Amino acid sequence: MANNYRERPVALGELRGAVDELISNALPLGCYASQRTVRTIFLSQTGPLGLRTVLGEGEKWESLARRYPFFSYHEREMQALQGIDVQSSPDERPLYFSSDAIPEAIVAEGKGISGVVVGPVHAGIIEPGRFTISTGGESVVHIDAQLSYSHRALEPWFEGQEALALAPRVARICGNCSVARSWGYARAIEELAGVDLDDGTEFARLVLAEMERVHVHLFDIGSIAAGAGYDRGTTAALGLRERICQLNHLVSGHRLLFDSVVPGGVKAGILADPEIIRTTLRELRDDVARFCDALLAKRSLLRRLEGAGVVERSLAQRFAAVGPSGRASGIACDIRAIAPYGAYRGFAFSEELAGGGDVYARAELRVREIARSFDFLERGLRELEGRRLPTPRQVEVAAGVITTVVEGARGAESISLALSATGRIERLHVISAAYRNWPLVTRAMEGNIVPDFPLVNKSFNLCYSCVDR
Amino acid sequence: MSQGKFAHSLGIRHLVCGSCNGCELEMNALAAPQYDVSQEGWGIVASPRHADVITVTGPMSDAMRHAAQLTVEAVSEPFVVVAVGDCASGDGVWCEAGSAGPGAGRELEASIFVRGCPPSPDALREGLRAAATLLDGRKS
Ligand code: SF4
Repeated sequence: MANNYRERPVALGELRGAVDELISNALPLGCYASQRTVRTIFLSQTGPLGLRTVLGEGEKWESLARRYPFFSYHEREMQALQGIDVQSSPDERPLYFSSDAIPEAIVAEGKGISGVVVGPVHAGIIEPGRFTISTGGESVVHIDAQLSYSHRALEPWFEGQEALALAPRVARICGNCSVARSWGYARAIEELAGVDLDDGTEFARLVLAEMERVHVHLFDIGSIAAGAGYDRGTTAALGLRERICQLNHLVSGHRLLFDSVVPGGVKAGILADPEIIRTTLRELRDDVARFCDALLAKRSLLRRLEGAGVVERSLAQRFAAVGPSGRASGIACDIRAIAPYGAYRGFAFSEELAGGGDVYARAELRVREIARSFDFLERGLRELEGRRLPTPRQVEVAAGVITTVVEGARGAESISLALSATGRIERLHVISAAYRNWPLVTRAMEGNIVPDFPLVNKSFNLCYSCVDR
Repeated sequence: MSQGKFAHSLGIRHLVCGSCNGCELEMNALAAPQYDVSQEGWGIVASPRHADVITVTGPMSDAMRHAAQLTVEAVSEPFVVVAVGDCASGDGVWCEAGSAGPGAGRELEASIFVRGCPPSPDALREGLRAAATLLDGRKS
């Protein structure tokens, strides 16, 4: 595939105007710095577009987040890691910290307001985050989410490493979006090198990505049931998900499909018997459908889900929401539909949307998306029958700068990569769907009762590891 | 296999110290009907004060170090720290990263190391059984 990432230079003084112009018809993907060069990235109709702004010595970045709050994390990151001086930022706290300098939470003040702090360690098997909840009576007035407890300074450490050898690490930036991220990374290297892949490999990648989506969506639906206190639903969802994990192991040798997509192709020997996989998936599909129908017919459960954690469409738009959480608020943001890649190009695909923006909408949308994934799997596996998948191609790594975007289970996953002529990483910047959606979780809670926090939080079920890196 | 009291009553507090969440997915799988460790009397507890076992994942991120130490200090004897996964055991993919330590299990003096990236639910169950055996030996 040719590299369809484009970039154009935009002087600092003209950047605001350029962003104003683009934002109404392109999906903003964020901004990031490589030394003193900042790229503001959009997904336009013709593919990813970067606005390249070079900051002179002593020049300061004028905060975009003041007008477009979506950029807040991105700007706080480049201030913390690349030392870019961000002017008039709405939130000046460093995005990353060490144990001895944890930023103070922002809390609401006023008569009758009190506070609760939970985390970073939680009473569950969940990643670390500190939530400072300001309450008025039982209602939440404001939540401050302090993430970054899993920050390992991965991106600076990646610099100078060999791009091809880094693939297993990229697959482990986050366990929930491993296939999607590996695919985005492989595409970045392949598109820079001008490598074309055979159809079989592209279908195999699609199948692997959809298997990941099904196991993550099932996990998320189970988590919503847990948040509502319906343990039986959680156990059943985990049981169905386990069957996918066992199938993952059978087809790839790894229960979470790590390392199944690699630069130049897919892992050798993978998906060797598409017929068996199809049969297993058909049985699973019926059981999943039965389970989901029963779950969403449960009135006592629905009473918890409906009207909880509403994200209005306008709010979702302001924060450029992605993934099921964006689509549940009516935002068209499925990368498989708006910027199809790989084998998705051959499918007529219109994305699933909902309007309610509440926990119910986020649950019900995932149920529909699982059904669509099974359709993809059926068709993708049929394409694979009788084909022998080639072993991964040798890729001659080429220098350049690129951004790729794929649709992971939780939304748009982007990889921004700069490679040297010797095949080493000059810059690798990973922005996940979770990074984009976190600010929504806290806003969705405003006006809700405190005990609904686990429920609303789980209806997004965002990862931390790919946010913190 | 342990036949002592802890074999059927294990309170687990889980600590995530820079994990990729893959280990967490497999820890969560233990609640699926295929494994259902709650039937063995094992469960995640709401406070470190209730815990017999601390399971820990990740290389140890700088930001988590203090909270992790406080958590372990809050547990009363006897208890066992179980390192879950290669990162926590000291040779995972992140153990040399910028602000990561040499394995959270090493820093927190784990007695049991469950290997894998991530370990399978079966391996995790074995690791927790081994923890119960150790506890039965240690209890006063
Ligand atoms: S051991 Fe593997 S699965 Fe576990 S946290 Fe480390 S990278 Fe993730």
